[in-house]
Amino acid sequence: MLSAKLMITLGIGLSIYFILILVFLKHRALDLRYTLLWIFSGIVMAVMVFFPYIFRAFIRLLGITSTMNGLFVFFIGMLMIICMSLTSIVSRQAGKLRTLTQELACLEKRIRELEEKKQED
Amino acid sequence: MDKRLKQLKQPRVLIIIPAYNEGEHLLQVVESIRQCCPQWDYLVVNDGSVDDTENLCARHGICAVHLPINLGIGGAVQTGYRYAWKNHYDIAVQMDGDGQHDANFLKELLQPLVSQEADIVIGSRFISKEGFQSSLLRRAGIRFLSLLIRLCTGIRIYDVTSGFRAVNRKFIRIYADYYPTDYPEPEAIISAVMHQGRIKEIPVIMRQRESGTSSIRGFRSAYYMVKVSLSILICRITFGIRR
Repeated sequence: MLSAKLMITLGIGLSIYFILILVFLKHRALDLRYTLLWIFSGIVMAVMVFFPYIFRAFIRLLGITSTMNGLFVFFIGMLMIICMSLTSIVSRQAGKLRTLTQELACLEKRIRELEEKKQED
Repeated sequence: MDKRLKQLKQPRVLIIIPAYNEGEHLLQVVESIRQCCPQWDYLVVNDGSVDDTENLCARHGICAVHLPINLGIGGAVQTGYRYAWKNHYDIAVQMDGDGQHDANFLKELLQPLVSQEADIVIGSRFISKEGFQSSLLRRAGIRFLSLLIRLCTGIRIYDVTSGFRAVNRKFIRIYADYYPTDYPEPEAIISAVMHQGRIKEIPVIMRQRESGTSSIRGFRSAYYMVKVSLSILICRITFGIRR
């Protein structure tokens, strides 16, 4: 059972979380595309904090008896999903960087050859 | 593509030489290619070397692309394939820049591709068992990877880590599009099998590297075995999904 005090604390924490996301988005320090998962997580957390009955029913379904244990399991799971999505983004960026580097090197070779040809002419 | 290859009596061949801090030995490799096969083009892929490789290439008129950052062997080789694909080469050959591979075997390496017996030809040091054979521990590792590839694909390749290989235009396109990154050779084989490539091994004699040291030493050997084994298994499991 979440106490009223804990609910208020989590509510304040969530507000800071959403404000931080908005500030980052405003200053374009975060790409909206990559923020969607964070926003989604925030919404899920808000539902859990303000409608604890839904959360309790859910963790009972999973066979977890303590609410706090359920909270930990849920948040760790969510953080793992976010980490995985970050790794996937980094991998994709690395692939793009590799392609760019290769194309750049080929272009540099072409320019070098054209310059040499021009000098010969 | 195959018809075109058949029509061509002399296919356009590009020899890709990835090089990272190989220094003067690179010059020897290029010279041996110039002497053995002057009719074929070569491309040195300078993988962000921090030594004098770039100036050396300029001084000696070596055809080279200079990667601004170090991409590793996989990225360097893929640059070569990308170049080969864009410039319409029929055959691409990979050859190390450290002097391990003998240019005298290039013609033998290309023969099965020209006669269309194979899509990929691998120069293997373990068929005739002549020349440099690597250390006992490394041979054991190579045998294990060979067995793993055999279990996954049913195809037996003896020298799975050999970087001396030639591919036809079909595989130039495939490898230009995707080439594994670190320690890519065994994974490139399984990827070729998954693309229904016909692989042939021919015996070659390799020399001990003339410059630099192998990147697979100490703890890296363990990492290498785990990473390569995993990549082989994952490539085998996921290929059906990706295709």
